Amino acid sequence: MMSKLGRGQKDKVQQFMAITGASEKVALQALKASDWHLEGAFDIFYSQPQIRAVTDTRHLEELYKRYRDPDVDMILVEGISLLCNDLQVDPQDIVMLVLSWHMKAATMCEFSRQEFIGGLQSLGVDSIPKLREKLPSLRNELRDEHKFREIYNFAFSWAREKGQKPLALDTALGMWRLLFSEKHWPLVEHWCQFLQVRHNKAISRDTWSQLLEFVKTIDPQLSNYDEEGAWPYLIDEFVEYLTENGIVPSRK
Amino acid sequence: MNSQSQRRKNFKIEAFKHKVELDPKYAERTWKVLEHAIHEIYNNNASRLSFEELYRSAYNMVLHKYGDKLYTGLVATMTSHLNKIAKSIESAQGGLFLEKLNHKWADHNKALQMIRDILMYMDRSYVPTSHKTPVHELGLNLWRDHIIHSTNIQARLQDTLLDLIQRERTGDVINRGLMRNITKMLMDLGSSVYQDDFEKPFLDVSASFYSGESQQFIVCCDCGSYLKKAERRLNEEMERVSHYLDAKTEVKITSVVEREMIANHMQRLVHMDNSGLVNMLMDDKYDDLSRMYSLFKRVPEGLSTIRDVMTSYLRERGRVLVTDTERLKDPVEFVQCLLNEKDKHDKIISTAFNNDKTFQNALNSSFEYFINLNNRSPEFISLYLDDKLRKGLKGASEEEVEVVLDKVMMLFRYLQEKDVFEKYYKQHLAKRLLSGKTVSDDAERSMIVKLKTECGYQFTSKLEGMFTDMKTSEDTMLDFYAKQSAELGDGPTLAVQILTTGSWPTQPTAACNLPPEILTVCEKFRTYYLGTHSGRRLTWQTNMGTADIKATFGKGHKHELNVSTYQMCVLMLFNSADGLTYREIEQATEIPALDLKRCLQSLACVKGKNVLRKEPMSKDISEEDVFYFNDKFTSKFVKVKIGTVVAQKESEPEKQETRQRVEEDRKPQIEAAIVRIMKSRRVLDHNSIVAEVTKQLQLRFLPNPVVIKKRIESLIEREFLERDKADRKLYRYLA
Repeated sequence: MMSKLGRGQKDKVQQFMAITGASEKVALQALKASDWHLEGAFDIFYSQPQIRAVTDTRHLEELYKRYRDPDVDMILVEGISLLCNDLQVDPQDIVMLVLSWHMKAATMCEFSRQEFIGGLQSLGVDSIPKLREKLPSLRNELRDEHKFREIYNFAFSWAREKGQKPLALDTALGMWRLLFSEKHWPLVEHWCQFLQVRHNKAISRDTWSQLLEFVKTIDPQLSNYDEEGAWPYLIDEFVEYLTENGIVPSRK
Repeated sequence: MNSQSQRRKNFKIEAFKHKVELDPKYAERTWKVLEHAIHEIYNNNASRLSFEELYRSAYNMVLHKYGDKLYTGLVATMTSHLNKIAKSIESAQGGLFLEKLNHKWADHNKALQMIRDILMYMDRSYVPTSHKTPVHELGLNLWRDHIIHSTNIQARLQDTLLDLIQRERTGDVINRGLMRNITKMLMDLGSSVYQDDFEKPFLDVSASFYSGESQQFIVCCDCGSYLKKAERRLNEEMERVSHYLDAKTEVKITSVVEREMIANHMQRLVHMDNSGLVNMLMDDKYDDLSRMYSLFKRVPEGLSTIRDVMTSYLRERGRVLVTDTERLKDPVEFVQCLLNEKDKHDKIISTAFNNDKTFQNALNSSFEYFINLNNRSPEFISLYLDDKLRKGLKGASEEEVEVVLDKVMMLFRYLQEKDVFEKYYKQHLAKRLLSGKTVSDDAERSMIVKLKTECGYQFTSKLEGMFTDMKTSEDTMLDFYAKQSAELGDGPTLAVQILTTGSWPTQPTAACNLPPEILTVCEKFRTYYLGTHSGRRLTWQTNMGTADIKATFGKGHKHELNVSTYQMCVLMLFNSADGLTYREIEQATEIPALDLKRCLQSLACVKGKNVLRKEPMSKDISEEDVFYFNDKFTSKFVKVKIGTVVAQKESEPEKQETRQRVEEDRKPQIEAAIVRIMKSRRVLDHNSIVAEVTKQLQLRFLPNPVVIKKRIESLIEREFLERDKADRKLYRYLA
């Protein structure tokens, strides 16, 4: 490889390796991606620490072909099913949500080529065994406050029907149950019941994202809930519902 | 002397070189002369004295440094005289005591004056340098110490004065001139003497006197009489001061009376059974109220006490009025009662409460409170106006009309839900215009101007559009008949009012089947109109029209019936059938059930208007009923009005519907307000938005904070706003 480079380029590779301590392969990758500008190459290298592990694009293409739908250039339900099988993971497993997040998947139950390959690349894996090895660390990401919030908010757009602004109630309920068993919220069942009885309509993005803030800041007995707290009206109604039904102590 | 020689040179004045030697014996002799003079002065024998000689004696003494002797001698002499005078005063009996004191005081002052004149040189030179009290003041102090403060006089003086005042208070006549002299004497002796020896005890005694008297009065008097008595006592005291007390005592004694007679009994007076404030208000007792106002004004919290009691009385009275189900049956009566209440209490405030602005405000806030307790108030006020504009103000002068409209505007201002009023006013106005039943165009327009001034152009632009439509329609009809007269021939005469959608209240239009004769001419009109106004769409509002029909009854009696369009459709059916069932009528006309029942009821069940006969003859319409043309119908009027297109109180379901529409209309207004506010403020927290929106919309209605919140969320969903990333209570405007 090095032999095909011009003198200037070879120098840059040497410099890169000396400064970053990276391998020749990584140096070449970064410099190629930045069109042989040293500064740009540093930027790329430092913003993607995972790319210390090099992925082989050919392996990724193979992998994609395995799961891709015969008629459409996308991985659809069957492909995902197969993927889960290969990974020995339940398709309903929350780790698939985390994986989709890494892939920046637009919609649930399908991956585009870019999403699949790009996602695995960003994780630094190019084979099923390597991906399987990564799964525990993906699961762990849910424990991180910031990452959980990002994944939670990502789930809203991901779980939506294409072309719809709000999230269908049933889907929302399912997602909440999934997410709040990971990050335990004792009121999740009451919330779901309340919505089915009193609201019975789709969920807006604001309600979705504000609910997480509610779960994080307000204790399950609602002792620190503030009526003037600018919570979405559904949450205000939920508090009323809990009080009326004696699930939490009366607020007077 | 060298004067002669000096005259030729410079004129110089030199001190006396001729010194008069004064040996001590001479000093003693001179003093004796003066001492004797003082005695004589005190014994009223001053006329025989030579002022010049005495003055010179005193002068010499001071000059030769015998000022001390002179001064101490003066003190001793005066003191011994005063002690004698004291004894003489003490010996006076009863009433003569004060007179004697007064007399002796006058004497003393005269004497003092003379003594001072004689000793003037001493006063001017010796006294200042040796820091002694000047003669006049000395004289006063000695009088004070040896007469006024003498053991046997001091208490007796005080008691005498207070006793006299007490007697005067209980009705006796006393010698006021004498009193004045005595109190003036005390003032001359120093204001602290006046205060300590007279004023303070006077105020204390007065306080217990009035405390006692007020306790007495309060149990046996009613509020009005008590206040009269209190006022009288107050005036008495002020008069007393002007006659024989020092002016500065006035404010002190009046505050004693105010405190004892008024402040201490305020609550009891105001709440007195059968005669307290509330009774006075109910019975329009202007004098009593005026008296209470001016008396209570003098004491702290006085006016606020009256105001608070008045406010809770008004609120309760108002609350009872607006929740009285009997009265609510007649909306016009209801509003008239409100107006009467306002008039009554306006009069009280202007006559008895001096037009006090704080009372006006209390009245306004009370009205605002109870008018809005009944959420039908906006509807009823509009109905009242409808009644007045349709017939009530018939024959009234322009001023009378203005007075009535202005009074109603005052009530209007109290409404929180002005948008509800607008909806009803529009409906009622539409009916008035379409049925041609308005007392005066000017009155209608005047009302619109008032509403515009109060609420702005937006409130009235549609109402004005309605008037424009009426005028335009008139012109259109003239043109129609001018152009089409040949074609129309003998058909029914049409009068069309073309209403611009949006200006007029929206009613869901259920079309009905018009009789063929009518349909023909209507179609002719439609063709004509659309010929001159392309791109428009016409829809016949059959629920709002009227018709005049000629009908012939039994024995050839002819009458002209003025009916609604629906009624016309029903009646015309009887041209081809004598009797029809409810269902047949329903099928033929396709009029909606509720309207049809009301229509048939008005044609068959109302005495004097029963052009149809119903079997069975019950009051209500059932779907099994059969209807017949009533051959036997009679009326003393040739023209009989059976139309039902008059504004009336809505039924429960109609009311719910209107309210729902109002709520729907409010949503975009709230959103527009939110967007306006956020556009200018860019970033704002939730509570501030709610406050600002409420402020902006309060001229029309009071927005519900929950609704505001929902609108904000809707705007977030539509990406007009977003929550701030750091502070979730903050919203940001998205350009």
